[in-house]
Amino acid sequence: MPKQWKIKVILILIVAAAVITAGIQLYNHRHYRMLLTAGPGVTKVHMLSDYCSGLKGTMADTHVFFLKGKEPGGKMLILANTHSNEPASLLAALIFLENAVVEKGTLIIIPQFNNSGGRNTRPGDGYPLYFEIQTSWGTKKFRMGNRDASPLDQWPDPDVYVHYPDKQLLSFLDIRNTNRTWPGRPNGALMEKVTYAAMELMRTEKVDMTVDIHGAETMFPVTNCIVAPEKAIRIATMTSLTLKAREGFDNHVEPSPSGFRGLSHREIGDFSDTLPFLLEAPLPFLDQPTGPKTVKLLLDGKDPFLLSLAKKNKLFVPYDESGWPMENRVGQHCSAVLELLRQFSRKSPDRSIQVKNVPRYAGIVKNGVGYYYHNPATINKKDLYFN
Amino acid sequence: MQLQISIILAVMVFAYIIAKWKKLSVEVSMLAAALVGGLAGAFVATPPINQLARHLVEGAFTYLDVILVFVTATIFMAIVSESGGVNYVVRGTIKLFYNLRLIALLILMVIILIPGALTGAGSVSLLVVGAPVAMALGYLGVKKKKAAAILFIVAGLSAAAPPVNIWAMILSAGTAIPYVGFELPLGIPVLILGTFSILVLGWKKEGNSDRETALKEMPEITANMTWWRVLLPFVVFFGLVAASRIWPFAYPVLGLPLQFVLAGLTALLVSPIKINILKLSRDTVKKLLPLLATMIIVGMLQQVMTATGVRGFLSFAVISTPLVLLFILLAIIIPFSEGVLTYGGAAIIGIPLVWFLDSIGLHATIVIAGLSLLWPLGDGLPPTALIGRLSIMVSDYKGSYWSFLKSTWLPWLVITAVGILMVIFSARLDFLVKWSM
Repeated sequence: MPKQWKIKVILILIVAAAVITAGIQLYNHRHYRMLLTAGPGVTKVHMLSDYCSGLKGTMADTHVFFLKGKEPGGKMLILANTHSNEPASLLAALIFLENAVVEKGTLIIIPQFNNSGGRNTRPGDGYPLYFEIQTSWGTKKFRMGNRDASPLDQWPDPDVYVHYPDKQLLSFLDIRNTNRTWPGRPNGALMEKVTYAAMELMRTEKVDMTVDIHGAETMFPVTNCIVAPEKAIRIATMTSLTLKAREGFDNHVEPSPSGFRGLSHREIGDFSDTLPFLLEAPLPFLDQPTGPKTVKLLLDGKDPFLLSLAKKNKLFVPYDESGWPMENRVGQHCSAVLELLRQFSRKSPDRSIQVKNVPRYAGIVKNGVGYYYHNPATINKKDLYFN
Repeated sequence: MQLQISIILAVMVFAYIIAKWKKLSVEVSMLAAALVGGLAGAFVATPPINQLARHLVEGAFTYLDVILVFVTATIFMAIVSESGGVNYVVRGTIKLFYNLRLIALLILMVIILIPGALTGAGSVSLLVVGAPVAMALGYLGVKKKKAAAILFIVAGLSAAAPPVNIWAMILSAGTAIPYVGFELPLGIPVLILGTFSILVLGWKKEGNSDRETALKEMPEITANMTWWRVLLPFVVFFGLVAASRIWPFAYPVLGLPLQFVLAGLTALLVSPIKINILKLSRDTVKKLLPLLATMIIVGMLQQVMTATGVRGFLSFAVISTPLVLLFILLAIIIPFSEGVLTYGGAAIIGIPLVWFLDSIGLHATIVIAGLSLLWPLGDGLPPTALIGRLSIMVSDYKGSYWSFLKSTWLPWLVITAVGILMVIFSARLDFLVKWSM
């Protein structure tokens, strides 16, 4: 064989080995079954496709957990992993799922709202595929997902995304972003079906309030905040003030812009009777000027470049050597949800929702997130869900 | 950490220089930089060595959609050209407008602007109408180098033009600013700068040929070629694009690659001569291969730069620059970020930059519009030089790349000045946003 051909064959073998290795890792990531443990408060489990048949059998279908109290009352829906690269939302939702006991009203939890996005990676952005949370009984492993649904589940993208029903033009990528496809439609793109199913759930179950949990860059002005439209702003403001006074952390209120379409905090309020809220906690991992995108950065939020920028007043949140650890972010989300429930219940006593056994900010910061996850070996198998 | 990342960056640059010194192509040199950078990073587990292959392969898919558009659009235009359609259009244009130079140049400018404005990709403009426009410019007495320069500048402006500007959309999505109110802040500068560029580069007529001589020099029209045979494939393509805007909720998402395939099939069906589509496709992809390889390797490079922290370090360096110096350096930073990262530059440097400029009281929408004028210039810069290379390809310019790039200096400077001034005076230009809404 001539020398040139030998080189070509060797190169092809090297490329093939790399592609096979990467292919196996990416396939395993997409099909990794994450454990969801239903706690004592869970009374029934549905699939999102029960509210939009077009989701059945697709990677976008996802579990919907109902935690119904003994006494009738109002209803709250918690959406997590709308953006699957903002994992504090999932971790907070799982603390509710494993621990919450509802005494009055109903809590509905969708821990992996953009299930397809949770199985997607972010080409060009060098994310890790998984991260682990330490618990007293070992580690709990999670997939690291992407902001957008996987093109394996929804493709092709249009050259420009025309939002339904306002016809506002948005980036082509946003047709796979479940925080741009609200209120959705039953015969639209797969992610429009996801948000439509959630709207149907809210309408049929007569949900009073929905909390969509996110994370945002420290350089993004809309971070460390509660975003709410006009009709929900009073509850959001009371929540923010109370959290600052009682628990000592900032969570300012941002009004939902009426000219920016497709967002949960805008469309849910406009297309149903539900009051929408969107929670943002700082997520240094998402900032552009950071060091390597490692699991460590994801979990502790410590970065020397951000620290330097903070000293030059270029961040929108306080930032020091302690970074912005996962415990603080998850703790903020849990406290904010509980406080929203309390403020809503005070305002509408006939639709009150009372939840117990969910830790607040101080407890989670002190004990860590993993402290609140239960050992699956000690749980009845019927309460273990894999997704 | 800063030292660690600086060393990795130095190793990548060194690998690139050595590869170029060994006379390897730009694509292979970039691949060497990505591989060596990834290995250097793996020494400190950024990324872990068992993840390096995954990062390289995953990164290779970053621009898969763009690659598909390039392939399908180029094959579509190759069919139109092979059927004799391009010659037919050029002959018609010369016949009608040869003696009305100003109007001829402005019409050609609008023809280049439309596809890019509709799709947000200057490459689509070049791939769809670049070849016939370059030929028409040639017969109007514009030298190939100047024709390539016109195509590069105007195709770049077409990508920045409303209604679809991908840089502005990426920045709007990343900064939570609605993609509205961009029509005038983008439309007015694009039209003024486009007119200026095409007149500066194309007004002077080279040679003494007249209309009749030009027509005589042109290739003969293919037998049975007619206007409807030329227009129908374009009607199909623009019809599909328009339908997705007019009836967005009743019309399935086809995507640009399939739209080009359908237009290409139409061109094949109405061609007056028989075309060997397999051979034509193979030859076309062969021609495109360096460009496609660049797109794949830039994705790998981008992924390795992020996983090692190099990308964040560069972004940090830009954001840390003092304000006045930053305004001046925009002329270099923005085009170079596009040259290295293509659209990735808007996300990596643009998003934190817009947040920062917004926080000091500048108007975010105008800032984005101003920056959007600078990014297309970077499409002429190596290592990617996507639009620059396409401009040369479709205009058939055989001279050196740098001599072509040098010929764009005046429009380049004017566009840079306008873009930067829009950023600096964005707060005073907010009326353009209000008038657009």
